Amino acid sequence: MAFNLTAAFFAVLTVSIYLLTNVLYLKYRKTLLNPVLASTAILALILVLGNIPYDTYMMGGSWIGTLLGPAVVALAIPLYKQRDLLFTNMLPILSGIAAGVVVGMASGVLFTQLFRFSEELILTVLPKSLTTPVAMQVASNLGGIPSLAAVFVMVAGFTGYIVGPALLKWLHIDSPIGRGIGLGTSAHGMGTAKAFEYGQQETSMSSVAMTLSAVLGALLGPVAAWLLLL
Amino acid sequence: MKIISIILQLFVITGFYLIGEAIQVFFNIPLPGSIIGFLLLFTALMLKIYPLEWIESGAHFLLAFLSLYFIPATVGVVEYGELFSGKGMLLIPIVIASTFLTMAVAGWVSQYAAKASTDRKERS
Repeated sequence: MAFNLTAAFFAVLTVSIYLLTNVLYLKYRKTLLNPVLASTAILALILVLGNIPYDTYMMGGSWIGTLLGPAVVALAIPLYKQRDLLFTNMLPILSGIAAGVVVGMASGVLFTQLFRFSEELILTVLPKSLTTPVAMQVASNLGGIPSLAAVFVMVAGFTGYIVGPALLKWLHIDSPIGRGIGLGTSAHGMGTAKAFEYGQQETSMSSVAMTLSAVLGALLGPVAAWLLLL
Repeated sequence: MKIISIILQLFVITGFYLIGEAIQVFFNIPLPGSIIGFLLLFTALMLKIYPLEWIESGAHFLLAFLSLYFIPATVGVVEYGELFSGKGMLLIPIVIASTFLTMAVAGWVSQYAAKASTDRKERS
């Protein structure tokens, strides 16, 4: 019984902190108050200060984590609703996403190799431009570290969110399709949140890019790992 | 009524996920089961085997809290504290640089391809 109580406590704690940080974020709209970042920081602090092992926390945390798989499946619905947009711009969308996914994985692997990081860390960095649930899955399938992969996904997301618009402007990427595909392919959900500030077309493009790059990344991940680590 | 249909739809989504997982294990495909489930559901919708109305509100509900589901995993970073105090710090600028490249290439290629295809249409 004590076992279940502990699990329930950490599950409820996680949900409560998540809801709290969402309320704070909606109220103050500061990037640093991003609910994932803030919740992670608060929970990590609780574990460290309370000297609570991560495994103990995960007794309840894993309950919440099981929803990731079904959530990835549910991404089929927004993509299906965007199908007209996708099919009328099939070539530019697919070519941009494919090029981005390949360059993202290859550059991540090459840079980490250059600094002689372990194979485990290279495979953890590899899926960083994919949406978190998929990136974690890909990292764990390849032999990387899922929770670290999630951290790199967040770094990529924040990079796209904060510096994306300046980079796009500098490179004269100024069409809705270029902006949307660029943001969604490199910075997944965070990029899509930024695309929302440009407009409806950018948002749709970015969410299509986020979903398709996740699928493509999951397909190409093992191939990229095999090719680049030869 | 609305709540009941959302719950039933969540079961359907979970069903697609479990089928995806089963296919992954059975055929030993190097693709996450969730992505296989995603592809199955997308195909079912495209072929009109499964109607959108029977899954839309459940999916919407599930996706509304998407970021919650990966927080337990991101908290796992507490186990890798020392990595970021040393050489591992370098991984952050590496990820940032690689993200720049990804965005530049994806954005530029799609913009260029879109422009090329409209030019072609205008000429013909």
